Amino acid sequence: MSKQNRLRRGILLGAVIATSTSLLAPTRTFAAEIRVKGSDTMVQLATAWAEAYRKVKKDVLVNANGGGTGTGMAALQNDTTDICNASREIKKEEAEKTKSHTGKEVKEFVVAYDALAVYVNPNNPITEISVPELTEIWAEGGATTTWDQVNPAMRGKIVLVGRQNNSGTYDYFREHICGKTSDKKQREFRSGISELNGSSEVVENVAKTRLAMGYSGMGYKTDKVKWLKVSNKKGEHGVEPGTDVARSGKYPIARKLYLYTAGEPRPEVKAYIDWILSPAGQKIVEQEGFVPLN
Amino acid sequence: MSGTKATPKKAFNFFDAVEKPTEWLIRLCGWSSIIGIAAIFLFIFKEAAPMVPRLDWFHLFTSSRWIPNPAPGNEASFGALALLVGTFTTTFIGLVVAVPVGLGAAIYISEFATGKMKETLKIVIELLAAIPSIVWGFIGLMVLGPLVSQIFSAEPESVWSHIMVTLHLASSDTGAAQGTNLLTGGVILALMSVPLIVSLSEDALRAVPDTFREAALALGANPWETVRRVLLPAARNGLLAACMLGMGRAVGETMAVLLATGHSNRIPLALTDPVRTLTATIAAEMGETVHGDDHYRVLFILGIVLFVITCGINVASDFIVKGVKKANQA
Repeated sequence: MSKQNRLRRGILLGAVIATSTSLLAPTRTFAAEIRVKGSDTMVQLATAWAEAYRKVKKDVLVNANGGGTGTGMAALQNDTTDICNASREIKKEEAEKTKSHTGKEVKEFVVAYDALAVYVNPNNPITEISVPELTEIWAEGGATTTWDQVNPAMRGKIVLVGRQNNSGTYDYFREHICGKTSDKKQREFRSGISELNGSSEVVENVAKTRLAMGYSGMGYKTDKVKWLKVSNKKGEHGVEPGTDVARSGKYPIARKLYLYTAGEPRPEVKAYIDWILSPAGQKIVEQEGFVPLN
Repeated sequence: MSGTKATPKKAFNFFDAVEKPTEWLIRLCGWSSIIGIAAIFLFIFKEAAPMVPRLDWFHLFTSSRWIPNPAPGNEASFGALALLVGTFTTTFIGLVVAVPVGLGAAIYISEFATGKMKETLKIVIELLAAIPSIVWGFIGLMVLGPLVSQIFSAEPESVWSHIMVTLHLASSDTGAAQGTNLLTGGVILALMSVPLIVSLSEDALRAVPDTFREAALALGANPWETVRRVLLPAARNGLLAACMLGMGRAVGETMAVLLATGHSNRIPLALTDPVRTLTATIAAEMGETVHGDDHYRVLFILGIVLFVITCGINVASDFIVKGVKKANQA
């Protein structure tokens, strides 16, 4: 018995240490707090904005969190966030729910562009891929499951690494890559894709897995992965993801990034969004690997 | 007169007043686990209830098509077969590794180790139990995963490649596709349940009276014979219970398997195929569902399924232990 007790005491001690260290963190008071929640794709960007804004307005605390676009939308409906970061356009029912729950119309701000890159391991000899080929690889019922079907220079099963099914990135990639079924419905992803809870996890996994192919925001590129050039049709020249091609629409998998608020934002929130749209805020967009508005 | 009378009465009243509430307080403490479990079950069931009549249960248990967030215009598909298989296979691999190691360690600590070694081992194993599960997951992802993918990789057409494919160690001729898979997850689960199994097994072994050991010695048994013929049968109930509790730990583990199994919804055909478990699915998806929609409710139904599985394990272990007891008495 004493052993079990000691076991328990060990666990308890760990918990106590963890709690007390978090309690000992210094606290400060701020005149205003801005709550930001939403897209995981944008969480690094949102944190960078929040940190830089601290130097602009010292008495405003911006609390930036991820969780996924869906989470941010839910928070907007429940009025537990001031700003929802979204890596896709708001859905009609989400806007309606926000209206019915909070009584306010949502307001939309386009703050940046993002290009979804298709990542592979640096050891992979393949450099280009077309959207129809990607469809066969990723969509349910697609014919391509091994690398030699894409290019004889590479062997082995394709290990697919994607995002969890409520992330905006997941929705966006499905919409643009999986295509439509014969009865004009959106095709779903195939089973057996590793669904990871974060954009950088996807990239990290691809870096460690020789046979992997993953999709994630352009901003998550590291030198341990490479991205494929993407073309709209097989045989066309692939386009490398980049700022100009994302903005101009030449790159096939590019999208806008949004902020949403329920109703007209509070003055301090409005000031924050204005700052994000200003050259200072847009410079951070560029630093974080996304594409600024202009 | 009245003063002297009042004092003892007051003292009497005080204890009398305290007696009953204390009794009730202790009683409540005793009942709290029952109340707790009833409340948990009620809560899970309440959240899942609206979906119970609407859900295609046959589909849930026979299909692996898990598409809870379909594209606009598509029907959601709640097929959890692969998730169930994932939970059972990782647990099975975990137990295959953990039970021999755990029992072996318990036997060594209780019967062979002495002095400082014994104390050190006990402390280290208790420390092992205090490592948070997310850390285990990280070890799986960053350390064990790369190791597994290195060991289980091969050139196509090579001998090792043929061995792996024939023995279902890997499902393709180039070996394990990714480091986070069934084997990695299972080994991490094993490492997590070993401390529990060791602690409880050692208790069970220590509970065997020394007279048994002395009798074995007197009959000329060597240490190995003593352990195998005398101690293991005598401690059978406790050892079984230890393994069952280790299994319960493995089934319910979430964060570690989320990171270490690859989180890929498919039925594994080889030891190094990635899998996805019930718990990891609930953890990964619950935070971001809209409260009250079908996906949310189905995740609670998965919770009920898990609840039934772990209850089943506990009840089964109870029966096994009782059965063994009866057999021993007969």
